[in-house]
Amino acid sequence: MRRPALLPAPSTWRALGQTLFLLLFLTLFVTTDYAGVDELNWAVNLLFRIDPFLAAAAMLAARAVIALMLPALLTLGLTLLFGRFFCGWVCPMGSLIDASRRLVGRATTTLPQPGRRHLKYLLLLFLLTAACLGLPLAGYLDPFSLLVRGLTFSVQPALDHAATILFTWTYQQAPDWVNAVTEPAYALLKRSILPFSAKIYNLSVLSLFLLLAVLGLSRLEPRFFCRKVCPLGALLALTARFSLFRLRGGSAECGRCTQCRLVCPMAAIGESREIATAECTLCLDCVSHCPRSRIGYGLKRVAAANGQAATNGQTANLSRRAILASLAAGALAPLALPSRPLARHGDPQLIRPPGALAEPDFLDLCLRCGECMKVCIGNALHATWLEAGLEGVFTPRLIGRLGYCEYNCTLCGQVCPSGAIRKLGRIDKQAVIIGRAHFDKNRCLPYASGTPCIVCEEHCPTPDKAIKFREIETENSKGERVLVRQPYVVDDLCIGCGICENKCPLDGAAAILVTSAGESRHRHLFRQDGY
Amino acid sequence: MNRRQFIRDVLLWSAGATLAVPRFTVLAETLAEDAPQPLLGVAKGGDYGALVTRVLQPLGGMGRFVRPGDRVVVKPNIGWDRNPEQGANTHPQVVQAVVRQALEAGAKKVLVFDRTCNEQRRCYANSGIERAVRDLNDSRAVIEHIDQRKFVPVDIARGKALTRWEIYKDALDCDCYINLPVAKHHGLSRLTLGLKNTMGVIGGNRGSLHHDLGQSLADLATVVRPRLTLIDATRILLDNGPQGGNLADVRRMDTLIAAIDPVAADAYATTLFDLQPEAIASTVAAHALGLGEMALDRITVMEA
Repeated sequence: MRRPALLPAPSTWRALGQTLFLLLFLTLFVTTDYAGVDELNWAVNLLFRIDPFLAAAAMLAARAVIALMLPALLTLGLTLLFGRFFCGWVCPMGSLIDASRRLVGRATTTLPQPGRRHLKYLLLLFLLTAACLGLPLAGYLDPFSLLVRGLTFSVQPALDHAATILFTWTYQQAPDWVNAVTEPAYALLKRSILPFSAKIYNLSVLSLFLLLAVLGLSRLEPRFFCRKVCPLGALLALTARFSLFRLRGGSAECGRCTQCRLVCPMAAIGESREIATAECTLCLDCVSHCPRSRIGYGLKRVAAANGQAATNGQTANLSRRAILASLAAGALAPLALPSRPLARHGDPQLIRPPGALAEPDFLDLCLRCGECMKVCIGNALHATWLEAGLEGVFTPRLIGRLGYCEYNCTLCGQVCPSGAIRKLGRIDKQAVIIGRAHFDKNRCLPYASGTPCIVCEEHCPTPDKAIKFREIETENSKGERVLVRQPYVVDDLCIGCGICENKCPLDGAAAILVTSAGESRHRHLFRQDGY
Repeated sequence: MNRRQFIRDVLLWSAGATLAVPRFTVLAETLAEDAPQPLLGVAKGGDYGALVTRVLQPLGGMGRFVRPGDRVVVKPNIGWDRNPEQGANTHPQVVQAVVRQALEAGAKKVLVFDRTCNEQRRCYANSGIERAVRDLNDSRAVIEHIDQRKFVPVDIARGKALTRWEIYKDALDCDCYINLPVAKHHGLSRLTLGLKNTMGVIGGNRGSLHHDLGQSLADLATVVRPRLTLIDATRILLDNGPQGGNLADVRRMDTLIAAIDPVAADAYATTLFDLQPEAIASTVAAHALGLGEMALDRITVMEA
């Protein structure tokens, strides 16, 4: 099956496919933003909804079928038919790893080492078991979560920052004819890839570091992450073992030619040139490089008993001990959780987005994908560090001083791919209490120095304002008797949106602070602690 | 180099220097005590397009303010993510009519913007103002979001509470600045009217102006000088302002007020709320600075 010289090589088609899917992904990423209407049509959550690993983890954790994530079955089904094409053609992380190979990787490829690629299977087992028993960690290693977090928290803001510096300089210093070019270019960038306004993110550098680490691991071996770490890849690999269509490699007859083994980024081709279906991502590099065009894609041969054995030998070399250890680790790790103070008393600074499920359920379902933070129009949602425990890193929380929850906005619930943040209509969302504000009267100016202010009251968005004021005669810091309006919070009206804390004109900490007190997702009638 | 040459050179060079640094000062003498009584147009009606025409008639029509080739700024209140019925922003039909008339008067460009309190895009969209300007389908009518690069530090020579602040360039160097506020309740200042609307063209930490709001607004009024103030009182918000949200707090008045004198416009608008001009600190402070008339009996009201 020699290909005509004019047709592109099979691996070129694959590269083209990767480019298209990457562009699709980036388009979805950019459109995950307010677009002038309350309802968002397209968002990058599509990607997460077809991720069977996250779907399995979330469903095991919730012990329920999550309808939003059922499209993941499609990925599994297609993998069962066609093999692990997803990793080679669709996965944007894989495409980025391939794209950055020249930048990162060693120039020479060596024959595959008998690697530790079973690590990813053990990780998968551990993560799924732990998720099932109450320790949700899946989002930490999911490739899409890693990617979207890195792009959202760090890459896009960095691009925006660079553009702002450049175009501020041209705007202020360059002559008109330069601006005649640069200003339309800036406007175009703003309309397309840059965020609408400058955004900041908690854990931005860490997220960038993790993303770069995934790319940089390829320096050790090509597609190191995909070969040895990626739990999604592991799940697809387990599925692909049974795929209907697969690549058939050469045989011992190939003699001393090891072209296919040398080019295979997944080290999926064994010594007798057999291709391990589980590891093969169908990148087709071997097909393009085989000097005799012996490698072809087709129906699985039922009778190929020896090939089957070889395939099994390559993938399933997991020791029973390792499997049991992964299961045990996954099962035992959650037992340590109830001994933390968190188990009795949540961090009052942990303010979850409106519509978030009760904390344990929320942690179970949250994919750490960062989409709610990407879409948050008020730049209010930020990645949690350890405030929600080891398993809560990268989950969203509102930081009032950095941003606030826009009263009429419902976007975070719309983009959440798993329903950890429920999708709420505007009226329902406005009824959700995510926390409550309180004053620090030692700093609040009308109290502390008799100075007029009540900026908080001005911005309070509830139609019947939750911040009201009393006119009090008092002595100000200059010793004058003055009438001043002193604000106070009406708890029953406050929903904890944080705009008061955000707009408080004081330097440093605000004099009005929001905590998660009174949040409506936890309406405990009977608490285990306290009086 | 002779003396004449030297003087010419100095003038030339120093003129270059003063042009390079933005500096805007206004002379108090232009608002002399012996100015004629300020004139104020008031009109009522349900057709806001026609209402804008009528309210401007006593003042001489839009042509008196906008000359052909002018770069015009129309500054409505687009501060809040609220819809037109809620009365928190200037009514979009009023904005549209003012922009249209400025275009008809021959404006080279009409720029509409506000530094919003809620998220910019939501405010522009839900106020209906973005749509209203775009519907004019005229490339000269531009509604743009605030561009942070355009804030320039300005010395406020006559300021008492504010002596220097960042102000949006377009509001200062346009040929005709039209202030188009909505009249509504405000917790701290009781009402927000024309002078308070200037908060939308300044940068920085605006909240700190609240510590001496009345005087700060008057100080700003010495450098941000609308050629025309047109107050939208088609709907007035009586409580829970400036953002409202409860239709029970909105009273439909179908009224517009137009004046050249910014203080007179505010003073008169105060009466719609059954308050006296003295109740509004910014009105009193601006009057004290000689920026306009606040005594109702010294203002000529022309109902049109």
